[in-house]
Amino acid sequence: MASHKLPNYLRVHRKRLGLSLNEVAFLLGWRGASQPSRYEHFSRTPTLRTALALAVVLQVSIRDLFSGEYRKAESAVCRQAQRLEARLTMESPDQRTARKLAWLKRIGSADGNPS
Amino acid sequence: MTSNKHNPKRVLAIDPTSRGFGYVVLESPTTLVDWGGKVIRDQNEAKTLAKLSELIRHYGPEIIVLEDPRESRRCARIQSLLDGVCRLATEEGIESRRVPISRVKKVFHAFRATTKHEIAQVIAQQLPELAPQLPRYRKAWMSEGYGMAFFDAAALALTYFHFRLLRTAGAPQARPMAENLKRSELV
Repeated sequence: MASHKLPNYLRVHRKRLGLSLNEVAFLLGWRGASQPSRYEHFSRTPTLRTALALAVVLQVSIRDLFSGEYRKAESAVCRQAQRLEARLTMESPDQRTARKLAWLKRIGSADGNPS
Repeated sequence: MTSNKHNPKRVLAIDPTSRGFGYVVLESPTTLVDWGGKVIRDQNEAKTLAKLSELIRHYGPEIIVLEDPRESRRCARIQSLLDGVCRLATEEGIESRRVPISRVKKVFHAFRATTKHEIAQVIAQQLPELAPQLPRYRKAWMSEGYGMAFFDAAALALTYFHFRLLRTAGAPQARPMAENLKRSELV
């Protein structure tokens, strides 16, 4: 695994299947190849609906297809989880808080793990 | 957290040809990110370097792997181009590694691959994404297929990975290419 993931791996999965940009555009119901090309060149980020459609077309999970974006979101959530964990530790310990803390620890430890 | 030293890095390998250059981008010996060829008209070095700059900006490789022309019979234009690529890599703050062709042959000799076509066949097994592009066997009167350029680039990249994994054999994720291929019952 590389130290920095690319925002998406659309190009490699498309080429692996031997699909052209025009064919991907057709499958997604677009007129031209410019939109998928923009995604492949990282100049645009697809909407959730488009990302799901791309995952269906290329038969790859969203997490694998958008590894870089996934990592970015994961580390942002982990940072927030650590903040919330620190805040909850200050509060009076009851069963509910303990359950939340255990869950937040799991989220916090997920950062940096291979996906 | 593991040290960055043992993290496999994104590698861009290029092989210049008479019509442009072939390239592959790998994140590990089995993870191919992109491959292809760029056609440059007039064999213009500046245009070639500009195309290469685009690839560097797009993929942000940590290492560029090139052929070491000192032990092979590459023409003066290609030798100058390879020097230009090294200069470009230094300007962009990227490491460059030159792999002599003798080293490539040594690595692939272990898989009973001695000719370019046999080496390309071994690469097609290691990186199945490239298999559909495997050029057909070239007869003496045929010119070399367009696709051979990125198989040559892949050979350089895999040789680089092979020797790097041997150097860092203590790392948990280190698995030389030989072992990968043994798993696929090639040897």
